[in-house]
Amino acid sequence: MSTPVVTKPAPDAATVARPTVGQRLTAFMPVIALVVLLAALTVADPSFLTQSSLTAVVRTAAPLVVLAAGATLVVLCGGIDLSIAALCSLGTVLFAMWLPDLGGLTLLAVVAATGAIGALQGLAHVFLRIPSFIVTLGGMSIFGAVALVISDAGPIRVVDREATHWLTLYLAGVLPMAFVVALLVVAVVWTVQRFTPLDSWIRATGYSESAARLASAPVDRVKVAAFTVSGACAGLAAVMLVSRNFSGSPTMADNLLLPAVAAIVVGGTAITGGHGSLWRSLAGALVVTLLRVGLPIVGVPSAYEQILYGAIIVAAVALTLDRSKLLIIK
Amino acid sequence: MSFRDTGPLIALVVIVGIFAALSPGFRTLSNAQNIMDAAAVLAVVTCGVTFVLMMGSIDLSTPGIMGASAITVALLVANNRNDNELGLLGVALAILVAAGLGCLSGLALVLLKVPSFMTTLGVSAVGLGVATLLFAGVQPNISDGTLSGWAVDRFLGLSTLTWIAVACVLVGWMVQRYTRLGRYAFAIGGAEEVLALSGVNVKPYKVAVFTMAGAFYGLGGVMVTSQLGAGLVQAGRGYDFSAITAAVVGGTLLAGGRGGVLHSTVGVLLVTVLTNGLVLVGVSPYWQGGVQGLIVVAAVAAAVIPQRRRNQVTK
Repeated sequence: MSTPVVTKPAPDAATVARPTVGQRLTAFMPVIALVVLLAALTVADPSFLTQSSLTAVVRTAAPLVVLAAGATLVVLCGGIDLSIAALCSLGTVLFAMWLPDLGGLTLLAVVAATGAIGALQGLAHVFLRIPSFIVTLGGMSIFGAVALVISDAGPIRVVDREATHWLTLYLAGVLPMAFVVALLVVAVVWTVQRFTPLDSWIRATGYSESAARLASAPVDRVKVAAFTVSGACAGLAAVMLVSRNFSGSPTMADNLLLPAVAAIVVGGTAITGGHGSLWRSLAGALVVTLLRVGLPIVGVPSAYEQILYGAIIVAAVALTLDRSKLLIIK
Repeated sequence: MSFRDTGPLIALVVIVGIFAALSPGFRTLSNAQNIMDAAAVLAVVTCGVTFVLMMGSIDLSTPGIMGASAITVALLVANNRNDNELGLLGVALAILVAAGLGCLSGLALVLLKVPSFMTTLGVSAVGLGVATLLFAGVQPNISDGTLSGWAVDRFLGLSTLTWIAVACVLVGWMVQRYTRLGRYAFAIGGAEEVLALSGVNVKPYKVAVFTMAGAFYGLGGVMVTSQLGAGLVQAGRGYDFSAITAAVVGGTLLAGGRGGVLHSTVGVLLVTVLTNGLVLVGVSPYWQGGVQGLIVVAAVAAAVIPQRRRNQVTK
């Protein structure tokens, strides 16, 4: 982001900031939104609150959860990753192309490849000192082109459905495997982050990068790592999409960028960095999916979906923005 | 004239030279006409985005705004969906709708204090949504003679659309050079605090710049409609990135305060010549986006290198 960060002196020496009412409200915003939405949908259509429709919702949400979770790390560092959707599309093409040769190893290969591409973006951001949204905007364009060229601009059918069959199974007959994997990703990344110094490094980088550098936090490595995880998550989301569509296509995931960004900001992760978590993005992704599924139920044409995303993004960012850090908004 | 100003121009001459040497099809008069005609829409859109970049903001709302104006104009001039026949008034109304959407990004920026790349991403989605609603599943084909004539009628070898683009560039340059709006847009990008401290209320100017940018995108959407003979929701697809690439390659800094409409126009020609030349020497057109992505990253990196030591913090 090209927002100049102004370091203001702390108003008090010991500021144990008490959360204001607004902060308390935004802290629970995603959960409140989730409950309100579920309630509203149930009122609109009493048959909505059934096991099968809820199962369908979480199954649809799985790729979005994974995408949003990875990008959340980048946002926590104060950057943004606009390339996730294009990278995910590229991932679906790679998976479909590599599957005949690599078989069961394809999943790992795709996740490794997209992770490496993410790392490359992180390195470009850190070493060339280009704002992250430009690196990833450029990346979005490049990955789109690569996907078009290698796939010859058409969908690639996946014949061997055994390799992704396990993702379409249901755990205990109810929980879709894809959603379980998504939960696992969130839990594992969160655990690693929580029980290592990574958590404080990421937060420090997001809250005040210059202070983090002075405190000798490995800011550059943390950022590259965040981009790597974000890329790898895009790859995993790609495999989930392939398991559902039985094909890879160079534009398959392109329309997931807006929902993923919406999921992150609706979850309450501040776009200015530092404040937020992966669990918030999980809740945010569920909210976004419920909206998408729910609009037709309450009789709103799905064309309003886009308008709603736009409004949600702006409103959620306006609510969660840390204004003390921004004197000038560009 | 420093190297920063002449560099893109030299690059343009070098690239034209290389392609002319490599491809016999490139060095023909009709291909030069093709390039100018192909650059028209991008030139108009880039005019708008340049003012936003000059302020140090960014604008990703182009696809949405262009889509909305493309459908609006197609439904307002003579078409197969309704009995409207507003002609040029319809064009004006479509540009007005686009300016309104641009104004929305500006207002969200100054009132809600949401960074511009987020507000414009949101407004882009809103514009696409509005376009989808108006589209309503049936493609509006235009039968208005004037509008569809713009893409076909030629004057001095160039289509009317190209002359419109030339006029836009001139108007943009005049606004940048001779109006308070243009001067302040520069100043906002250079040093917003100083401007604010010297008693200038910058907010109305920011909103005005986004509104004007929206109007330029709107005209771009109208021009695409004229080319295609139909209003499409995806009329502006990819133009956000191409326009930013063109402006940056032309020498408009993303940090703001440098460059201008004429710089950006050189950038537009560079991007268009590159696209045209690569296709003529046999590179798959699918690479187009990839080439643009690479040059935008390279151009931004090159612009940042002088300040590399000073800028420890990049977000």
